[in-house]
Amino acid sequence: MPQKEADLCSPLNISEGDILEAMSDIQGYLDISPGDFKEIFQFAYRHAVTRIMDSRKAADIMTKEVHCLESAMDLRQAATFLADKKISGAPVVDAEGKVVGVVSEKDFLAKMGVGKAASFMQIIAHCLNNKGCVATLLRNHSIGEIMTAPAITAGHDMTIGTISALFIDKRINRLPIVDGDGRPIGIVTRTDLVNSYCFSR
Amino acid sequence: MLFLEKMKGSGQSPPRVSLVEVCWSWVGSFLGIAAVALLHYRLVDEKGLLMLIGSFGASAVLIYGAVRSPLAQPRNLLGGHILSAFIGVTAYLWFGGQPWLAAALAVATSIALMHLTKTLHPPGGATALIAVIGGESVHNLGYLYVFMPVALGAAVMLLVALIVNNIPKTRKYPEFWL
Repeated sequence: MPQKEADLCSPLNISEGDILEAMSDIQGYLDISPGDFKEIFQFAYRHAVTRIMDSRKAADIMTKEVHCLESAMDLRQAATFLADKKISGAPVVDAEGKVVGVVSEKDFLAKMGVGKAASFMQIIAHCLNNKGCVATLLRNHSIGEIMTAPAITAGHDMTIGTISALFIDKRINRLPIVDGDGRPIGIVTRTDLVNSYCFSR
Repeated sequence: MLFLEKMKGSGQSPPRVSLVEVCWSWVGSFLGIAAVALLHYRLVDEKGLLMLIGSFGASAVLIYGAVRSPLAQPRNLLGGHILSAFIGVTAYLWFGGQPWLAAALAVATSIALMHLTKTLHPPGGATALIAVIGGESVHNLGYLYVFMPVALGAAVMLLVALIVNNIPKTRKYPEFWL
């Protein structure tokens, strides 16, 4: 649940000692036991998290400048494009500009033939153990062949709570935000989501 | 948690208040009770009427000693006393022949109604009880008991609370009216 991630940035583990000290800081008799206050605080915190999660939408946190790949692009072009933009993945659009899939490093690694759950280090190991580089396997293929499809997308009004749950359930790292016709209007990455939680700026 | 386990208590007692706070509680309750008692002994006692009842001592603890408490707010002070007085008198009039029943009904019903009307004020329970066990001087008042001593006495105490509790920087009263 999104709750788990939010807990990381929260002081939910307030102790009764903290509360006793706070009560001493305040002048006057407070008609509440530290234990009761703790309970109220924890419930209130959860309500606050829910409120914030429900009040902020995809449109508020998404990166509006979204770099898209076209499904007909060959992998060399696509890799160059991603490298230039310093991103590790992107939505894939068809000829009409509609999002049809998502490509990430994982899809490239998978195509390089070291198994479905390939990692960068496996590739390195493979290259060092064998002559030549497995990247050559990527030649003459198009993005459309390796992308993860159908794309998981969302509308601009999805709450960040729902988005968090989606990231965890579907094990994805980026979520294209699309308009009514399925055309991309932004993208929410894990980074966008983390920034939206901790209010650090 | 197990039934017996719960009886051990697992929380901590709130901290003690500062000496300044103690002094203001003393001053407030002294003036509040003094005002009501003066009215009682100098003015209404000779006419066979009442201004002072025991439950005001309990109210003083709350409105001068636990100023921020929800139980000490004007809504609770006035509402709790007036409602309970009414219930107490009614209980005596209806069930006075069985004093034990009248007493229990008065207190229990007062608490329930104070809950329902969000006017919970512990001294209200005493006010209801006094209507039943207060003897002839109280019984003779009938429903007048609700207005005097109860409503009037509580109002005087409230007036003192409004003045005294807003003098020190560290206090303000009330938290809310309604």
